[in-house]
Amino acid sequence: MILKIDNLYKSYDAIGAVNGISLNVEKGERVVILGPSGCGKTTLLRITAGFIQPDRGTVTIDEVTVAADGKCFVEPENRNIGMVFQDLALWPHMSVYRNLEFGLQARKIPKKERRKRIDQILVKMQMKQYENSSPNDLSGGQQQRVALARALVSQPKILLMDEPLSNLDLDLNLLLRKEILRLQQDLDITMLYVTHDRDEAFSLATRIILMSHGKIQKVGNVEEVTEYLSDLFNPC
Amino acid sequence: MAKKCTLLLIILLLAVIGLAPVVSMFIKSFFVDGELSFKNYQILFQSKRQWSLLSHSLGLACGTTFITVLLGLPLGTVFAKTDLPLKKLFTVLFVIPLVIPSYILAVAWFYFLGRGGILAELLGANVGVITSRFLFGFWGTLFVIVSTLLPIVIILTITYLRIVDPRLEEAGKLSAGWPVVLRRISIPIVMPGVFLAGLIVFILTLGEFGVPFSLRFEVFPIESFIQFSAFYNFNAATAAAVPLGLITLIVLIIERLFLRKKTFQFRTVGPEETRIMMPLGKKKPLFFIAVSILAFIFVIIPIGVLMIKSFSFSAYHEALVRGLDSIFRSLLYASIGATSLVIFGFFLGYLLERKALRLSFAADSLAIFLFALPGTVISIGLISLWNTQATNFIYASAVIILFGYVAQYTALSERIMAATFSQIPHSTEEAAQIAGAGWFCRLFGVLVPQAKYGMVAAWLVGFIFCLKDLGITMIVYPPAHDTLPVRIFTLMANSPEQVIAALCMIMVVVTCLPLGVLTMVTKYMR
Repeated sequence: MILKIDNLYKSYDAIGAVNGISLNVEKGERVVILGPSGCGKTTLLRITAGFIQPDRGTVTIDEVTVAADGKCFVEPENRNIGMVFQDLALWPHMSVYRNLEFGLQARKIPKKERRKRIDQILVKMQMKQYENSSPNDLSGGQQQRVALARALVSQPKILLMDEPLSNLDLDLNLLLRKEILRLQQDLDITMLYVTHDRDEAFSLATRIILMSHGKIQKVGNVEEVTEYLSDLFNPC
Repeated sequence: MAKKCTLLLIILLLAVIGLAPVVSMFIKSFFVDGELSFKNYQILFQSKRQWSLLSHSLGLACGTTFITVLLGLPLGTVFAKTDLPLKKLFTVLFVIPLVIPSYILAVAWFYFLGRGGILAELLGANVGVITSRFLFGFWGTLFVIVSTLLPIVIILTITYLRIVDPRLEEAGKLSAGWPVVLRRISIPIVMPGVFLAGLIVFILTLGEFGVPFSLRFEVFPIESFIQFSAFYNFNAATAAAVPLGLITLIVLIIERLFLRKKTFQFRTVGPEETRIMMPLGKKKPLFFIAVSILAFIFVIIPIGVLMIKSFSFSAYHEALVRGLDSIFRSLLYASIGATSLVIFGFFLGYLLERKALRLSFAADSLAIFLFALPGTVISIGLISLWNTQATNFIYASAVIILFGYVAQYTALSERIMAATFSQIPHSTEEAAQIAGAGWFCRLFGVLVPQAKYGMVAAWLVGFIFCLKDLGITMIVYPPAHDTLPVRIFTLMANSPEQVIAALCMIMVVVTCLPLGVLTMVTKYMR
């Protein structure tokens, strides 16, 4: 088990954002957290990343407890997690290459190895020709690829994705879903993906976690969740 | 951990540099000859003169606030919301008095309205007597301080009007004309900002030292200065500084309690094309003439008078002979001061915007309190704390001036940096963190490069305020460390008018150059 979340609580101004969530993610799984805006799915993702601390409950990554009961034991920079942000968060003052190199440099990977890894991922993402470009000069889809490449280049244990396709038009959205799937299978990455889009969730997930009001409503594969949702809306 | 330590260290340094002197001064004011005593305060409150000084200070502060808001709100509205020709030039013109030492304007008006001034030369000695009587006293002081602080209300009105959601005005425009929309929608929305501007003007007037001193209108900061430098009565100077500190504290508590949530918000100021503007139509010439007259009175006359008075090669030659060393010193100290302010402002701005520690509100309140505190109070505090044998290396060197700059002006760089950080998505830093970057790596790799224009702006604003400072430098400067504003101030009594005018013009040019650069930088930032 690569990620274990146990009885997690987090509230803001006495309003519960995450209310007692427990969740296990196995290596190589594609887990999608599906739910409406404000249901706590992004909070759950940010707790996993380490940007916010849970009020109660524990987060364990690869058998190491990284946060528990309001305390952070492993800082985000030491959790070896990759993340694609909703707004992508590409550093505008760095070229594509420098965006990818930054994390490797911070982890003190030798220069030769850095070059090799970046070249590999850029080729895989079909972005090699843009390595010297500024993120601002790229199209939305290209920026998305750079963000994904940046998250993957450090070979993370888990890839967290916070509604990364929500700002794209439908064609690009469909294209990138295929690319994410291809990459996940090629690199055998564990993925925790957050979205409010049902189609996106169904096309990407091996397992879906349905969330509402900070709680898990249903966990299952695509068929099970589809059935649950249709029962919910057509009770007769 | 490294992040917490850095931020805590900066707060601690600010507390040592800014708060400790004020606390030390406050405590010492309760001791006479080494024993606990209220004697200083007994003398202070029993003296009729002190109550008269207090009423002068409060009267001046209230009057200035009222008039600056009365003039600044319409001027700011015209500059922000209308198609007035040359409005950018007018805005820059009105800002000039804010960036030059205020007493320079008092000197200029003295050369214009004094008994032997330009107006008396033109219209006769009797006119000079009348205008001089107006200038030396409450009304003259009020007039000059209004011209100095008016830009604060104008700038804040412009800023707040620019961030009003255009849809709110568009919705109003569907059923009413511009005057109604402005009166009922735009201006009520920006009123908390205007109140804030009024509060800043009130506090700055309360601490104003240069203008009342030049125009011989007695107020509390002068009392502290005189007690300290003329009578060497440190206890009396301290006791006279405490009421100002208390009033400042009360005003700030009011701001923190009632205004902060309404005014403290950073939103992107959109380009003019995205804002909805009010066409002046046939009234354009009328507005243009009215604004031109005000600009003429508040800016062109005083600067013009200085130019006319100093218009000779020999005046500038003599001015450079007398003031060259202090010009270099001013530039050096202002540069070091501005750099220190950027460092403090960077971390405190980060703390404020990102709420990185629980102490962020306290740290911000401390910076704002020190900014609002009159320069004379901070200076007396600095002397009270550092004038010991063990700390003489601080007291007798330029370090004490730099401490004064940091204590008084950190709030400015803090707010500029907080506004800069609000434009940088949190996610860019989080992305670096998750990529494995530690605090210093994120700081220099991600935050500094993205905040560089904000840092340049903070440096320039800090530089201008350090350069023009008189309230602190005048009291704390060690021998042979006087800056240009201090040199002009001390030369004023016994030097030819044209030399003083030339020195004032040099001061104006030296402070206006960074203003020009700042205008370009802010344009580029947008």
